Amino acid sequence: MGLLTDPRAGSGKIIKFLLKWERPLCFFLYISGIVWILLLALPIFNDNTYFSENALLPGLVTKESNLEQTTKQYYTHLINEMKRYPDVMPYAWLAAKLNQLHLDVFTHNFTLIYPFQEQQFTGQNIYGIIRAPRAASTEAIVVSVPFRPIHSIYLDTAPSIALLLAFAKFCRKQKYWAKDIIFLITEHEQLGIQAWLDAYHGVTSGNGGVLISGDLPGRAGSIQTAINLELHSMKITSIDVKIEGLNGRLPNLDLFNLAQNMIAKEGIRQSFQRRFDVKYKNKFKNWWYHFNTLLMMITSQATGIPTGNHGLFHRFGIEAITLEGFEKPGQQSSDGNFYQVGRIVESIVRSLNNLLERFHQSYFFYLLPSTDTYISIGLYIRSLVLIIGGIFVKAFSMWQRLQVSTSTEDKKNIVVKQSKDDGFDIGIITSEILWAHICGVTIATSPFALTYVGKKMDFRTEDSIYFGFVVITILTLIWPFYFRRQMKYKNAALICVIALVELGTVLMCIAMHNFSLALLAAVIYVPYVFILPIMPKQNFTKFHRMLSFGWISLHPFMIASLIIMCYTYVNFSSDSLPLILFRGYRAIKQAFVFSIVDSMIYGNWLYNVTISTMFPIWFLFWNILCSNIL
Amino acid sequence: MMHFKIPLLSFIFITFIKCVSPQNDFFDEELMLKPLPSNHVYAYFQFTTVWETTKDVTTFQHSHLFPRGLGEIISRHNVDELHLTLTKGLWHYQKWGYPYHDAGPGAEITTWFHKDVKNVDDEWKGLTNALAGLFCASLNFVNPANSVSPEYTFRPTGVVDRPGGVVDSVNSSHLRYSSLPREIVCTENLTPFKKLLPCDSKKGLATLLNSAYIHNTNYHSIGIHFRVICSNAICTKTSLELRQSVSLIYDTVTDVSQDWSIRKFFGMGIRKACPLATLSNIYIDISSNNTNQIYELVPSPSAKIVSLRGGQLNEIAVYDIRSHSSKGIFNIQVLYNTTHTAGLNYPSILYANRYIIGYGQERGSLVTKIYNNYWQTLDIILLESIPWYLPVYLHSVTITCGTKNIIPLAQRYLPGKERKSPYYLEFILRLPPQSVTKFSIEMDYSFLKWQEYPPDANHGFYMGPAIITALLPIARNYTALPLDGSTITSSFNASREGYLVQLRTESLLISLPTPDFSMPYNVICLACTAVALAFGPLHNISTKRLVLKRVEMDWKEKLLSFLMKKIVKPKKKEE
Repeated sequence: MGLLTDPRAGSGKIIKFLLKWERPLCFFLYISGIVWILLLALPIFNDNTYFSENALLPGLVTKESNLEQTTKQYYTHLINEMKRYPDVMPYAWLAAKLNQLHLDVFTHNFTLIYPFQEQQFTGQNIYGIIRAPRAASTEAIVVSVPFRPIHSIYLDTAPSIALLLAFAKFCRKQKYWAKDIIFLITEHEQLGIQAWLDAYHGVTSGNGGVLISGDLPGRAGSIQTAINLELHSMKITSIDVKIEGLNGRLPNLDLFNLAQNMIAKEGIRQSFQRRFDVKYKNKFKNWWYHFNTLLMMITSQATGIPTGNHGLFHRFGIEAITLEGFEKPGQQSSDGNFYQVGRIVESIVRSLNNLLERFHQSYFFYLLPSTDTYISIGLYIRSLVLIIGGIFVKAFSMWQRLQVSTSTEDKKNIVVKQSKDDGFDIGIITSEILWAHICGVTIATSPFALTYVGKKMDFRTEDSIYFGFVVITILTLIWPFYFRRQMKYKNAALICVIALVELGTVLMCIAMHNFSLALLAAVIYVPYVFILPIMPKQNFTKFHRMLSFGWISLHPFMIASLIIMCYTYVNFSSDSLPLILFRGYRAIKQAFVFSIVDSMIYGNWLYNVTISTMFPIWFLFWNILCSNIL
Repeated sequence: MMHFKIPLLSFIFITFIKCVSPQNDFFDEELMLKPLPSNHVYAYFQFTTVWETTKDVTTFQHSHLFPRGLGEIISRHNVDELHLTLTKGLWHYQKWGYPYHDAGPGAEITTWFHKDVKNVDDEWKGLTNALAGLFCASLNFVNPANSVSPEYTFRPTGVVDRPGGVVDSVNSSHLRYSSLPREIVCTENLTPFKKLLPCDSKKGLATLLNSAYIHNTNYHSIGIHFRVICSNAICTKTSLELRQSVSLIYDTVTDVSQDWSIRKFFGMGIRKACPLATLSNIYIDISSNNTNQIYELVPSPSAKIVSLRGGQLNEIAVYDIRSHSSKGIFNIQVLYNTTHTAGLNYPSILYANRYIIGYGQERGSLVTKIYNNYWQTLDIILLESIPWYLPVYLHSVTITCGTKNIIPLAQRYLPGKERKSPYYLEFILRLPPQSVTKFSIEMDYSFLKWQEYPPDANHGFYMGPAIITALLPIARNYTALPLDGSTITSSFNASREGYLVQLRTESLLISLPTPDFSMPYNVICLACTAVALAFGPLHNISTKRLVLKRVEMDWKEKLLSFLMKKIVKPKKKEE
C-alpha cells in the first residue's frame, strides 16, 4: 500500500511527466489506437490464412458426388409441396424423403412462450441421422438448413433443402464415415436451431420458461462441427461464408479457411461480408476496400446478433459456419451448377470427417479484412489497449493531482490537518456509485414492469417498452437537475477516477468476449471522457457547458437510437426526411424489443451488459457534470 | 534302414494310442445369416469347441482341438469363465434386435476366477496382459482403475463348484469386468483369433473371414467365450466349452440391388468344410420372406427348420456345407423379386440410449434413457462404471419416468478413487409398462496431470457403456443361445422362462479440460527442462568451492594401494 499512498510518490520523474503531458498523451494514445486499427487493413499488416490442423487434409479426397440431377428432382417436388402448404413446413414430405433414404428420422417439437404476452408459438424440426459405419456414434457433424415458407420475408432456402436431401442420399451409400452426420431442417429461423441445440444438450440457454425445447428422441454423440446452408437459387454464382455468432463468437479460423478454399477450388466466387476479393492497383483504394470489409465485420460482430443459424452453435463448443449462395441477377447463361455446390459441401464434410480432434489448432479470435487474410488477436488487441490505456492514464493523473493537492495542503498547514474538510467523503462517493449501479440493474430488469403497465393502458409491447425507455431517459436526464446538489471538487474528482477505472475495466472485459463491441464503445466514449469538464463550476465557460450538454447524446438509449437512425438513413437515403424519421422510429422501437427478447431467448448479453455497466458509468459522469462542484 | 524304421514305428505307435483313447472333444462351425428389417444383414459365425474333461492343472498340457495357447493362459490364471469381445461400431438394438452376444464398443472383458484364487487383482493383471499378447489388443491397459466387480449384473453362465452345495454364494469378488472403449479393432486382432481355430483359416467357414471384407461392415465384433458346462443331464461330468464368435452387420442399402450372396459379403465362396468339424452348417433366417419382401435362395437349402421360441416364429433354411461343397466352391445367393423395400420392424421390447447433457468443460450430466415397450413391468439391472476422472455425485441421481420418480429396488455404490478405482453404480429398477425411464447423475470433468492425456488430447476421453441386464418374458427379436446350449442349433425351438439380454449402451466421448499442447506449450516445457538442467550445475559452481581433499584410508586400503603401486610401477618401467 505504501507504494500507492506514499505522498512522495508524486514527485517521481515519470509522474511529473504524466501530469504535465496528460491530455496530449491521452489523445496521442487514442489516435495511435485508431491509426493502428486503420493500419491493420493494410496487406502488409495482416497474414495470409493457412491450415493449422493437419488432419483436415483439405481437398485430398477424390470427390465422387454429382448432385445436380437429384437436387433438381428434389427441388421440383419440394416446390410443389411448398405451394400446396404455403405457410407451414411440409413435415410429412420431408420426413418421408429422409425415411426413404434409410436414415434414422426424428422430429422435434418446441414451444415458444412469448415473454411479454401470454402467447404460444410451436414449431417442429426434422432431422435424420446417418450412423457412421466406422465408429460407435461417438461424434457427429451437423448439416442444417433453415426452412422458409414461400411467404417468408427472408430469401428462399428451398434449393438448400433439395441439396441437403441429395447430399444425404449420396452420404448414405458411402462407407467411409467416421462421424455420424445429422441432417437437420429447422423451422422459424434461429428459434428452431436454438431449441434443437438446447434439447440436444439438455439445457436452457436463455431465461427459463421462454423457449421450451423439450427432449430429443434421437442423438448421435458429441457434435464436432456444423455447416449451415442457405442457398437462395438453383444457379449459384457466389457463395458467402458467414461466421459471426451470438455475442460475437467466431468459429475456428481453420473451418473458415476450409470453406473458402473448397469454394475457390470448385470455381465459384467466394466472398466475405458479401464482398469479393478485389485487388486494386491503387494502394489507397486497395486499403480502403479491405478496411471497409474489416469495418463491416466489426460492426456485425459488435451487435452480438448471429448472422445465421451457425451462430447459435458456438456456445456449445461446436464450430459452425453458414454458406450462403447467391445468384447474380443478370446472369442467365449457366444452366445451374449444383454439381459444383454439391462438391463443395462434400469436400467440406469429408474433410471434417477426417478430423481426429476437435478444432483447436487455429485462431478463435481474429478479424478478417478479406477472404484470405486474417488479423490475429495479438495484433488487433493492441489498438484497444492503446485506447483504453488513455483512460487509465487520465484516471491516474487525476488521482495524482488529488494526492499532490492534499500533500501541498499538508505541507502548508500541518496543524490544521485535523480540520473537518480534508480527505474524501466516503459516504457520498459510495452512495453515488451504489445508486448509479442500482439504477442500472433496475432498468435492466424493467421491461417486465413496463409491459405490465403498458398492457393496463392497452399499449403494444414495443410501444410500452419504447415509451418506458423514453421516460427513463428523460428521468435520468433531469434527475441531477432536480436534486441540484453541491459537491466538493475532491469528491467529484474521486468519483470520476473510479468511474474511469470502471470504464476501462469494463471495456477490457467486454473485449475479452466481443472485441468489436468493446472497440466501438471505446472509440465513441473514450475521447469524450478525456474532454469532460470536471472542474469547479466557477471556471465553467460556455464551451464547457456545451461539452457537458453533449454528454446526453452518449446516453446508451440515445446513442442506440442515433445509430439506428443513421443506419436507416443509409439504407433508405432516397426517401423523404419525415419518412426516414418514421422508419427510424419504428426500427428503434423494434430494436429495443428485439434486444430484450434476444437476451431472454438466446442469452444475448448486449442489452444486459449495456444497461448494467455502461449506463451506470454514463450516469456517474452525468451526475458529476450537473452537480454544483465547489 | 533303421533310420526309416524308427519314425514309422513311432507313427504307428502314436496312431495306436490315438485309436485306443480317442479324444473326447468335438468342434462345430456354424454361420447364421439373418436379414434384418432395416435392410441390414446380420452374419454370425460361431466356432464351438467342447472338450469333455475336468479343468485342472494337467488338462492343458496336451490338447487336441482346444487351442493350447488360450488353454495355458486359462489354466495358469485359474479362470473359470472368460468372455472377451473386441468390437467396432455400435449395436442398434432398436433396429437390429438382440445379437447372439452383446458387446460394447471397443474391448470388453469379463472373467470369473476360481474360488481358490487368492490374489484376484494379480491374476487379473496377469491374465489381461497375457491376452493382450495373444490377441494383439491393448488389454494391458486394463487395471484396477478401470475394473469393477459388479454384484448383480454378471452371473456365472457355466458350472461352478460351490462349497457344500450352497446355491446362492456366488462371490463377485472373484469377478472382474472392464471395458476399453477407445480400443480400435482391426486385422491384427482377427489373425490371432483365426489361429485359435483347429482348421485355422485354411478350411471351413473360417476361410470367409477376410479382413478386407469383414472390416467394411457397419458393425463387427469378435468374441471368445470360455466356460465349464455339464456333459450330462445330472451334471456328474463337466466339459470345457469355447465359443469363438464373429458378428457382422452388412448394409445392403449401399448397393444398387438388394440381392446379396456369400461371395458378395466375404469375397469368396465356400470351398470345403473343416475336416475336423463334426457340424458345419449355414443357416439363413427366412422368416422375413413373406408378402413384404420376397426373395429366393439359390441353391435351395438342404432342409428347412421351423423354430418356435418364446412367441417368435422363425423359419430357417439349413445348408450342410459337406453335401454342397462336394461339387467344388459353392455360393449362396439371396435374390429379391422386388426393388428396395424395408421390412416391417417390430421394435425390440427393451432398449436404451445414453448421452451427456450440458456443455463446457467443467461439468455435465450423464443420462441413460431406458425404453420399455412391453405391456407389463420389466425388472432390469443397470450397471454404470464411470471412470475416476469423471467424479459423480450420488445425491444427484434421479430416476424418473415421465414426472414420476422411480425408487430402485436395490442399489450398490462404490465411490471411485482418483487413479485407483472407477465409480461403480448398480441399480435394480422396475420399469413401468410402455414407458421411458430416465436415469441421470451429475458429474464433474476433472483436470488431469499433463502426462495422463492420451495422444490427440483434444479428441476427448471415452466412457465405456452402461450395461442393462434383463430377463425378457418374450423372445421377440431375440437370437442368443439358451444358457444350456452350445451351438446355434440349440437355439431353435428353445423356449425358456426368460431370455437373458445384457444391453450395452453407447460409449461416450467427453472433452475434459485440456491444456494447450501446442508448440508454445512444448517450447515452454522444453525451455523449463533446459533451465532446470542448467540450473543445477550453475548453482553448484557458483555456490560451492572446489577444495582439494586428502584421501584418508584405513590400513586395508593403504595396503592395497601400496601393492597396486608396486605392481603397476614395474610395468611402466618396462614400457
